[in-house]
Amino acid sequence: MSNIVVLVKQVPDTNAKIVVSGDRVDLSAVKKVMSPYDEFAVETALKHREANGGEVTALTLGGAGADKVLKDAKAIGVDHIVRIDTEDEHDSNALQSALATVLTEIGAEVVYCGKSAADTGAGSTGPGIAERLGWASVSNVISVAFESGLTVIAPSEGGNARISVPLPAVISCDKGDMKVRKPNVKGIMQAKKAKVEVKTVAMQGSTVSVVAHSMPPAKPAGKSYEGGAAAAEVARLLRDEANVI
Amino acid sequence: MEPYEGVDFYDIESLLTEEEIMIRDMVRDWVDEEVLPKIEHACAEGVFLDEWRVALGEMGVLGAPLKGYGCPGLSYVAYGLICQELERGDSGLRSFASVQGSLAMYPIWDFGTEEQKNHYLPKMTSGEWIGCFGLTEPDYGSNPGDMITKAEDMGDHYLLNGAKMWITNGTIADVAVVWAKLDGVIRGFIVEKGDEGFSAPEMKGKHSLKASVTSELVFQDCKIPKDRMLPGVKGLRGPFSCLNNARFGISWGALGAAMACFHSAKTYSLSRIQFDHPIASYQLVQNKLAWMLREITKGQLLAYHLGRKKDDGTWFNEQISLAKMNNVDIALEIARVARDIHGANGVLDEYPVMRHMANLESVKTYEGTHDIHNLIIGRYITGIQAFTRTV
Repeated sequence: MSNIVVLVKQVPDTNAKIVVSGDRVDLSAVKKVMSPYDEFAVETALKHREANGGEVTALTLGGAGADKVLKDAKAIGVDHIVRIDTEDEHDSNALQSALATVLTEIGAEVVYCGKSAADTGAGSTGPGIAERLGWASVSNVISVAFESGLTVIAPSEGGNARISVPLPAVISCDKGDMKVRKPNVKGIMQAKKAKVEVKTVAMQGSTVSVVAHSMPPAKPAGKSYEGGAAAAEVARLLRDEANVI
Repeated sequence: MEPYEGVDFYDIESLLTEEEIMIRDMVRDWVDEEVLPKIEHACAEGVFLDEWRVALGEMGVLGAPLKGYGCPGLSYVAYGLICQELERGDSGLRSFASVQGSLAMYPIWDFGTEEQKNHYLPKMTSGEWIGCFGLTEPDYGSNPGDMITKAEDMGDHYLLNGAKMWITNGTIADVAVVWAKLDGVIRGFIVEKGDEGFSAPEMKGKHSLKASVTSELVFQDCKIPKDRMLPGVKGLRGPFSCLNNARFGISWGALGAAMACFHSAKTYSLSRIQFDHPIASYQLVQNKLAWMLREITKGQLLAYHLGRKKDDGTWFNEQISLAKMNNVDIALEIARVARDIHGANGVLDEYPVMRHMANLESVKTYEGTHDIHNLIIGRYITGIQAFTRTV
């Protein structure tokens, strides 16, 4: 019986058009979804529960708007949903400290998270929390087996490594070959009734702060070539500049 | 193609509950992942994929607004949203769900005995058993009251004789709700696959609803146990109350097909370059796109308000007729205009528009033709029925 926690983050839909207004990204009109790698973390957490028993808690951090990502996790099958309440922006240090505090408070034994969030792409949350808690940590995991303790598979130089992981541990999940389960009406009805447990944590100050957001530079215009005589030059550019052949 | 994000010019999402939005998104994602990549192949083969039946059951959307007996018990608006998203995939898929929920499960739920409800509904909402609905006959379509299929009371059983036609799911159905005259009065009977004297040959050669099974139901001295008659209703009120629920779902479903065509036309016109510019930059094309959005938005408001009236029980039949008639009509016209915007490419299966267009020709005709719904509304306005020559 394990106390399993999965970290979920609400991010802009990866198909959304991002707009910068003034010096900040304007996400007011953007649809929010669960960060895609977190879906693999939820699936792995549910598999862990099925194999070893226990309960799965989905944990996020944010304002009331972030409850949606918890309800989504509940509709897929987690047992409990918890949000650390904060509306402010925080850096990774502050976030990891707050998450580590609550993970200790709720007695987590194993934590699953996505290998990185679709918005920042930093990939620091899993290892950062493990560091703070002094726990084992494996990143970019593509498969987990639960038969004799926890054994995970993660890419290593030239192939994959099979790694035995002592608990407590933080596992960050990559896509792998797993098919994630989807919600159904029963799950959605349960999610509707489920109450989000809201926790307040004294947030430590951020060590860095965002000064401004800006859009990536526009792609330079493409080059076009005509006629067979240009073939050699095109082949050279594809090889030497684009590095695609 | 650009990812589909729905069409919601008037922010109808703000009128939906959190649960309704989650259910819509669940079905939308499933259609994106499991239907759209397979639909053209299914149409080419003329099959309804069995994996779709399984998935609809697992999602828990069959018989959506029915309560109890393992059924979902959702709002009618949620049911409408499910139909909308399914028909964005294909009208055949929505037809499967409409027939299962509104035409086969609903009459058992409303007019059946406790034993019938307990026996059939849990297995039908889970998708384990497929249902169909036998009302239309070869010679009696808009005029079902004159049906010739009849049932005779043989003492310890009923004997059914007659034939039904244009029956969605017929050949693959485990359970058929069949309307037949007993002593001149229309009654509902539950016929099961394998019943003696019952067969359901598939009708082939359709240019429309190709990913849906359409069948005849043939009854030749078909023996039905006495406990398979639906005791709770007599006359046309039985089948018509089923049709009302299905027509309500169609009024939403047609919008899904229209949204798919609008999305494809918008995306195509922005990328198709003629005379050095995207065709979306030309006024004639913009006029067409603006008209599509206008009609979809009006249809959405109609369907939404009708849905809430269904939920609070303040609706009446003619409102459903108007919504079904209008929304299918505009969807078909939107599909035709979308095909026009796609130019020659519009006839290819690379784009969904011609498939939706062909499907909607059937949708315009089944569940009360466009003209019959006009007559229903004409009777409401004038008080004079114009279905027959006898006033």
